Amino acid sequence: MQNNHTKEHLFKILVIGDLGVGKTSIIKRYVHQNFSPNYRATIGVDFALKVLNWDQETVRLQLWDIAGQERFGNMTRVYYREAMGAFIVFDVTRPASFEAVTKWKEDLDSKLSLANGKHVATVLLANKCDQGRDVLTNNGIKMEQFCEENGFVGWYETSAKENINIDEAANCLVKHIIATENDMLQSEVPDTITPQLENDRGGTCSSCFRSQ
Amino acid sequence: MEYETKSGRAGPGNPTSPRHGVRKNLDFEPLSTTALILEDRPANLPAKPAEEAQKHRQQYEEMVAQAKKRELKEAQKRKKQLEDRCKLEESIGTAAQIWNQEILPNWSATCTSRRVRDLWWQGIPPSVRGKVWSLAVGNELNITHELYSICLARAKEKWRTTPAPSLEIETEDAGSSDRESSLELIKLDISRTFPHLCIFQQGGPYHDVLHSILGAYTCYRPDVGYVQGMSFIAAVLILNLDTADAFIAFANLLNKPCQMAFFRVDHSLMLTYFAAFEVFFEENLPKLFAHFQKNNLTPDIYLIDWIFTLYSKSLPLDLACRVWDVFCRDNEEFLFRTGLGLLRLYQEVLTPMDFIHMAQFLTRLPDLIPADQLFQHIAAIHMTSRNRKWGQVLQALQKDPERGSPVLKR
Repeated sequence: MQNNHTKEHLFKILVIGDLGVGKTSIIKRYVHQNFSPNYRATIGVDFALKVLNWDQETVRLQLWDIAGQERFGNMTRVYYREAMGAFIVFDVTRPASFEAVTKWKEDLDSKLSLANGKHVATVLLANKCDQGRDVLTNNGIKMEQFCEENGFVGWYETSAKENINIDEAANCLVKHIIATENDMLQSEVPDTITPQLENDRGGTCSSCFRSQ
Repeated sequence: MEYETKSGRAGPGNPTSPRHGVRKNLDFEPLSTTALILEDRPANLPAKPAEEAQKHRQQYEEMVAQAKKRELKEAQKRKKQLEDRCKLEESIGTAAQIWNQEILPNWSATCTSRRVRDLWWQGIPPSVRGKVWSLAVGNELNITHELYSICLARAKEKWRTTPAPSLEIETEDAGSSDRESSLELIKLDISRTFPHLCIFQQGGPYHDVLHSILGAYTCYRPDVGYVQGMSFIAAVLILNLDTADAFIAFANLLNKPCQMAFFRVDHSLMLTYFAAFEVFFEENLPKLFAHFQKNNLTPDIYLIDWIFTLYSKSLPLDLACRVWDVFCRDNEEFLFRTGLGLLRLYQEVLTPMDFIHMAQFLTRLPDLIPADQLFQHIAAIHMTSRNRKWGQVLQALQKDPERGSPVLKR
């Protein structure tokens, strides 16, 4: 049975950004394929699990939906621990939520880095794009340049409501996480990696959870 | 016999299984199927063998008998439900009378009596709930209706003078404190407060009331401001009290030590509360506690939501109100006791789960939670640990922060 040897990845992914930008909606769309305009505010942190088939491997995404109020920062930053990737979300109809993006990114990078010292892969989501793109067009911001300057691996205009680009954004993030993981495994163990070694040590990547 | 083993339902001992029943004996007959099964085959086809015809008749009769049984059962269930509801309504009516005529007029003399405590535990009738909450929470802060009006007027003044966040005027140095400064946050959160009730949303009957109370509070306690979770608490109070009284109860509730610790996001004090919770968790549910520890599931993950909203977001509203009933009487201790009661209620469900499934379960509890069962489980939680009560444990932990949760301090 080949299946028993299928490699399984477990990635913890953070979803952060200002209050009310649609973090919970994006997750609901991604995981449950539905949308409701009536989500309750997230207090603290909510969770979701998404399982993907990725090149014949199984990828489990643990999504941590973290409350957006700045005040909670102290309390919720412990939740950054051991994450492998992140979405930073803003609302294209609220400029202030875009201005907060750099803050969220700095906060994330200052509190979380991978075993190799690099920052975790982060994708920027310009959500509610079904309601207009004022922030994106009016400010004359070049998003590609913005992403490069701020260390995002990519950005997407998304709409949880209309189901636009959510899967694409997630795939982009997973692709980068897996690439990072491979980089780290290669740099730490130059020889061929035997599955046994990996099993014994629960994976050499400290950012992965051991699946018990 | 072959049929019986296949059908599985009509066992040999089943008294309703009609062995040689005739159609006329049945007063219940599904219309559409009778003819098809029991008619003879058309003349141009070979006739059904007698054995088969007999078998079909028997199958048909059993189906009918079972449908009938089901109907009867349903009818009985409906009757029972109706009876239960009547009984419940009657008991609520009686309780309301007792609260109104005997307890409330002699509040200070009766409120601590055994009988009142028992009644209290069973849930305060909705018609007197607001009054009892107000009395139990008290008004240590001496807030008057007039003070509420003043705070509200100030809030309205602030709303007028703060320009609505427009898309162009963003270059102004709005300052980061302004993002925190409540107004926009309140607006965003109001529509996300009990959205399914459709009464707090824009255009809903209580939208402005909720807005007013939260706004007035930010003027009353600018050092606390608006913090997520407050909208749920204010909403529950609005559902049970008039606006000014709801504000008074709101401000006094938030002024309780535990609530102040949380809403000011006093991190180290919050950790102390979590640590105290863990002491009683381990004491009451050692196996589940070990399971949580093994999976690195720390109490903050579920308690933050539970405590910040006083369970109003995580429990069905009527059940949350029952928790509030006793919380108003027993204070913070009851919040943590309720948490342990929930863990006790769902112990069997949680034990086989891994981290993510437990976290998911606890941050999104089932839609239907049996109230009586939950309260039985809460009652079974002992709030003493090595002869120390909740307050003593908390105090000891406060003095000796080293004994706090090792996981959370990292």
